Amino acid sequence: MGVRHELPSALTIYTAVATREALLAWVEAQDGRGAGKLELSAAQVEEVDGAGLQLIAALGNMERPWVLVQGSEVFSQACRTLGLARWLEQAGALA
Amino acid sequence: MNAHADADQEFLAQAMPAFISEAAEQIEAIETLLLELEEQPDNRELLDSLFRCAHTVKGSAGIFGLHRVVEFTHHVETLLDQMREGHIALSPHISTLLLHCNDQIKYLVDTAAQSDADSAQQSQERAALVEQLRALTEGRGTATHGTAAHGTAGSQTDTSTDSASGDAGPSGAEGLWRIAARFGPQTFRNGMDPLSVARYLAGLGQVLAVHCALDAVPPLEHLDAESCHLQFSMELQTRATREDIEGAFSFVLEDCEFDVVAPQSEQQKLTRAIEDMPATPRLGDMLVAVGALSQDKLQQALQTQQDSRAASAAQPPKIGDLLEAQAAVAPEVVAAALNKQQKLREGAPSEERYIRVQAERLDAVINLLGELVIAGAGATLLARQSRHESLLEANLQVNALIEEIRNGTLGLRMVPVGETFSRFRRVVRDTAASLGKEVNFEIIGGEAELDKSMVEKIADPLMHLVRNSLDHGLETPQERLAAGKNRAGHLSLIARHETGAILIRIEDDGRGINRERVLQRAWNRGLVEPGVVPSDDEINMLIFEPGFSTAEQVTNLSGRGVGMDVVRRNIEALRGSIVLNSVPGVGLQVDIRLPLTLAIIDGFLVGVGQSKFVLPLESVVEVIEAADSNVRADAYGRHVLELRGAVLPVVRLRSLYHVESELPERVSVVVVNSVRGSFGIEVEVLLGQHQTVIKPLGRLFKSLRGISGSSILGSGEVALILDVNALGELVTSEQKNAAGTSPVERREAVTS
Repeated sequence: MGVRHELPSALTIYTAVATREALLAWVEAQDGRGAGKLELSAAQVEEVDGAGLQLIAALGNMERPWVLVQGSEVFSQACRTLGLARWLEQAGALA
Repeated sequence: MNAHADADQEFLAQAMPAFISEAAEQIEAIETLLLELEEQPDNRELLDSLFRCAHTVKGSAGIFGLHRVVEFTHHVETLLDQMREGHIALSPHISTLLLHCNDQIKYLVDTAAQSDADSAQQSQERAALVEQLRALTEGRGTATHGTAAHGTAGSQTDTSTDSASGDAGPSGAEGLWRIAARFGPQTFRNGMDPLSVARYLAGLGQVLAVHCALDAVPPLEHLDAESCHLQFSMELQTRATREDIEGAFSFVLEDCEFDVVAPQSEQQKLTRAIEDMPATPRLGDMLVAVGALSQDKLQQALQTQQDSRAASAAQPPKIGDLLEAQAAVAPEVVAAALNKQQKLREGAPSEERYIRVQAERLDAVINLLGELVIAGAGATLLARQSRHESLLEANLQVNALIEEIRNGTLGLRMVPVGETFSRFRRVVRDTAASLGKEVNFEIIGGEAELDKSMVEKIADPLMHLVRNSLDHGLETPQERLAAGKNRAGHLSLIARHETGAILIRIEDDGRGINRERVLQRAWNRGLVEPGVVPSDDEINMLIFEPGFSTAEQVTNLSGRGVGMDVVRRNIEALRGSIVLNSVPGVGLQVDIRLPLTLAIIDGFLVGVGQSKFVLPLESVVEVIEAADSNVRADAYGRHVLELRGAVLPVVRLRSLYHVESELPERVSVVVVNSVRGSFGIEVEVLLGQHQTVIKPLGRLFKSLRGISGSSILGSGEVALILDVNALGELVTSEQKNAAGTSPVERREAVTS
């Protein structure tokens, strides 16, 4: 079982560079552990924009299985708006 | 920005009168078409034309920000659209409703300039009409139709179009639009966000599907977090127009490639909109105008075309192909536009080009033309005297050109009488209905042309005569059936050209003039000595006497006793004549004859003694020189001429007008045609063809029969223009000429 990564409350262009760094570090750590699916949580996301969602898309394109286990209302709405509702399908409880 | 707005305001204020007069034309056309439609309810062309007229009014009103006009006309347009689609059929109720709506549109346009001019009554009536319109159209459940055809200014500023908010712009049809957008790398850096674009679009309607493709996003380790690789595609169900939808991208134009594809049914409507468009030669403009393409996309495509033209010598891509490829304009729509272009190139004569000209300017030109004709005649005279060959020739050429210009210019003022006649349809319809009479109204010969000023002056007298027929002449259906006639009465307005004049006839198959009653009235009024019974024709003409009316009660429409004499005076003021032909129980025929023009005619100049006379060339049949041997006095003292076996009466101008001079050695006879037949006019000198500028007669000469005007010759002399028809009446009348007394004198004695 890997460590779940909690996305920051601001998932926007302003934090994109830092968030990317954090994500990359986390992925590397998970690889080392030999974890299964990467578990991502967006429960604490209060602000999100295209740049933020793009980060997750890029994560998805890393050819590692991943799943969104939780998403805040703000986050879920944004996914639906941009056409990324498929990310939410596997999620557990959605607010 | 402010200077822009001010300049716009100024432009609008200046253009407003033009809008109002053009809208008035459309409104008139609508009424005519509606009345024609009643006769042919299934005529698709009429329905299309009706729709176009309403659409044009609405569009132009939109440009001027005239919200009330736009809103109201929009409802009418909706109904007309459904009618032309075949969803709603014309019924008498709908016909009357549309006529009332047209009246309301007229009221709104007329008061458009004053934003506060709207009485409570009008606005109530308007609301009632709208209710009725909506009951018809919304009962069908289909939403209203409106392409962004005329770029209505009303909706441009308000981008959050909620169609229920009732703003001035028309709402589009609910349609399924397909939108695809690919955002460029700099999007984030330029401060933009694909998510907010998607959000905005979602606010325009209902998103049925949206998909964000992530193939272009690099894996996280290679990703530059500040570069954008996002794209999405969306199916949007909305009433918004293309402009509204593309407005979502207005801030990301530099960074985003997007396609907005119209709904399928929309394309059919676009195709039809293209066909309905007035002449627009350029393909791109046409497509923008009907809303198949945004101006920006057109510019892009044109730029591409230009670039490729500059880049290579090979054939640049066609604009139609570019628009299909780059701007996602459906192939059918492009094909329709190309078709339309083709039709225009072939010069489809269906739409003529007109220019608006102020009437005063035209009159000024015609005046100058008159002066030119006289000056030309003067120059010719001098040229002749100089006996200079080439000068004479040059002069003849100048005169020929002047004549051509004359014909062309006078022709500018001619309008078909049919336009005026058509106005009567509505009056006849409403009047007949209010009187409980059924009337078939027919207009024949509407293409006959008449000088514009005369057409305007003849309209009122004609209207009065038409009302007279409806009121007094035509009987109610019951009366007609009892008389063995058809239920519906027949009323015709006929126009026809005759020699040098135009005939306008009002004919009905009603009860005709009741001569007994007219005579009785005339006796009572002292117009005719009691007991004296004049001829039938004379009795008929009695109705033109002032203060004469046999209607028992003065009806609302006519019979006030001021009508008929004013009618006759108006017609005589136009140098016209009016003749009645009535058969009791069968009908009445009113013949009005008017000269074709008031200004310049081709004349034939003749001389008697020192005086000069002009005959309208049109009426001259032949000239017999040195005819003195053939003119004889018959047993009654009338002069006649024997011509190829026929005997023609002859008018001797010399004795008619007491021209003093030495008796000539020989006389000539000009044979002319008149309404009453051919006759001869004896003259002394034949002076040939002459362009005659008509100047009106002074009051002193008005009582002189046989003269219709005067003219100034090149030499400065005054020539009198003979009224051939009046002379014809004189000469063919049964009354004997006592030797030495001319009919002219006798008439003066009677009327003085």
